[in-house]
Amino acid sequence: MLSTLQNPRLSLLHHHHHRFPLKGHRHLHITPSARASHPLPQPTATQSPPSTSPPPSSTILSIRHSLLSRRQTAVQLAESYLARIQQTEPHIRSFLHISNSVIKEAEELDRKIERNEELGPLAGVFVGVKDNICTANMPSTGGSKVLEGYRPPFDATAVRRVKECGGIIVGKTNLDEFGMGSTTEGSAFQVTANPWDVSRVPGGSSGGSAAAVSAGQCVVSLGSDTGGSVRQPASFCGVVGIKPTYGRVSRYGLMAYASSLDAIGCFGSSVVDTGILLHAISGHDQLDATTSKREVPDFTSQCTSASFFESKPLKGLRVGVIRETLDDGVDGAIKSSIYEAAAHLEELGCNVTEVSLPSFSLGLPAYYILALSESSSNLSRYDGIRYGNQIGADELNSLYGDSRAKGFGSEVKLRILMGTYALSAGYYDAYYKRAQQVRTLIQRSFKDALDKNDILISPAAPSTAYSIGEKKNDPLAMYAGDIMTVNVNLAGLPALVLPCGVVEGGSNGLPVGLQIIGAAFDEAKLLKVGHIFEQTLQGHRFVPPLMADVALKGS
Amino acid sequence: MGSRVLVLLRGSTLGLGQYGNCPGRSRSAFSQVLNLKRGRGFSASASASLPPPDVARLAETARISLAPNEVEEFEPKIRQVIEWFGQLQSVDLESVEPAIRADNEGENLRDDLPETFENREALLSAVPSFEAPYIKVPKVLNKE
Repeated sequence: MLSTLQNPRLSLLHHHHHRFPLKGHRHLHITPSARASHPLPQPTATQSPPSTSPPPSSTILSIRHSLLSRRQTAVQLAESYLARIQQTEPHIRSFLHISNSVIKEAEELDRKIERNEELGPLAGVFVGVKDNICTANMPSTGGSKVLEGYRPPFDATAVRRVKECGGIIVGKTNLDEFGMGSTTEGSAFQVTANPWDVSRVPGGSSGGSAAAVSAGQCVVSLGSDTGGSVRQPASFCGVVGIKPTYGRVSRYGLMAYASSLDAIGCFGSSVVDTGILLHAISGHDQLDATTSKREVPDFTSQCTSASFFESKPLKGLRVGVIRETLDDGVDGAIKSSIYEAAAHLEELGCNVTEVSLPSFSLGLPAYYILALSESSSNLSRYDGIRYGNQIGADELNSLYGDSRAKGFGSEVKLRILMGTYALSAGYYDAYYKRAQQVRTLIQRSFKDALDKNDILISPAAPSTAYSIGEKKNDPLAMYAGDIMTVNVNLAGLPALVLPCGVVEGGSNGLPVGLQIIGAAFDEAKLLKVGHIFEQTLQGHRFVPPLMADVALKGS
Repeated sequence: MGSRVLVLLRGSTLGLGQYGNCPGRSRSAFSQVLNLKRGRGFSASASASLPPPDVARLAETARISLAPNEVEEFEPKIRQVIEWFGQLQSVDLESVEPAIRADNEGENLRDDLPETFENREALLSAVPSFEAPYIKVPKVLNKE
């Protein structure tokens, strides 16, 4: 270990701040720590005494440094991540499929390094991909029997961009079937456990992607967020998650659930890592007409080393706490964590005030009407004719009916049926159109609030992670948990979730996530604020007990 | 606690600052959400004007062959959620334009020119029942 690792405040790059355009070599100030330079976690109890040094700000940059300085090879890193997966999968089951070409890709990277070739921004970064995002060389099931064994003939644009940037895809992660659910119990294949307490859910629908990052099985991962499916699992699993602005990332290759609400999002164990992945996948795509032609700025350029923070690094930033997210329906412990986070932001120089979003609570039924209606249309393509699993029959309608009955799980069937109802002739005005009008109201109220504030904050979920099985039979109880997140999808705004505290529960405490919402295309501001918040947060290392318990072999 | 959660889930055109005091556990009661059968303060009058969902018919429209026990199991759940949707009936939406999506940008069209997909072989190999150049399906019966 370098002597500099003993003093984590010492920037490896000696105050130089090179910045290169968009893709290519990027040097940010990094504060290396024992954890960051070494993919295997150090056994750290969650209740460790308050630390004065900032947490590792970027595993991605540490890996890059490690490779370029030849301290480790890509193959060594790959072997340690694969070993970690092997050790932890029996306990958490994040993956539906693990790539069999990880070592091969790592070897290719080592050869590139030997030849001193330029490395992409995700070189040596092991990435998990939610299984509703198409990967041509690996099965993509959407968590559903109807696509069991299916291999798409193309990569999603986000996947293609990860590979172009040098990322190594380590496997496909578990999810609620077609993104429909908030616990990942809706998967047709397996239940993923929360690394903080394996009797609890990781959240959903991107539970596998969140758990994989939380358990150190990969560096970063891709998920999708239609009503909170990246942000809520990030909160439940104590990792960072971001849902970008609608139109920032191409949805080509994301199995559509609700096309006006879906977004591909990113998970990481730090804000900077999450931002680097987001940058790699963002940008206009000809194959998705809803993507923005707007230029993609360097999202993490303002995420500087904590040792260079001024005393009030966020001075003057106007923060609005959404009043409707902190009333009686929310766990007391969650509310306390958010108030503490608000106090922390004030210490950093923010002007924190309360803001009200009228129509806030209408967002939940409006969201479900829209999502269910759109999903009933989007899932009509799974007819067993051109791809997917088919139940043969004498007659076409029976073939459709039987293939879909056999292939879809109950929650998916329920949602399709309810969506079909809402879109039936005569009901459009009563439901779908009204929900669209509510969407307008919500967009307006966010716009007003974001004219008066730079960012808005709220919890990411009204509670910590539920026990496995707790929400199984009551759809409305499960839908209710989405109240913190759905309005952001209706408005198409970007939102970042990062861990802000650990509260009592589970075997050793459960993490709580703070949601930070920004104006459209303002991801850079969210990441800057999140990074500064993270780097100055005292007393927490968001390491789940699983990391400490599982016996580690040296690298 | 239940009534408090009800108000949150129900929404209100009265504005959201008008909750009464709500004693009881501060622990989230989202898991105890509305039991609509008890009709706790829930207005179902608006949705009562529309016929209740005919699950068997919906299943036919959606081309899903539900088993009879599934129809029975789904019916109350679907009814409950659709009643919950009904709360939007009481919201004043006069002259509010419907929003199709978060309209962050204007038109984004490409030229109306066909583009060939480069991996047709992989595309066709996924077809369950293929006899070149046809994708085979069973006969179509005319109903009604």
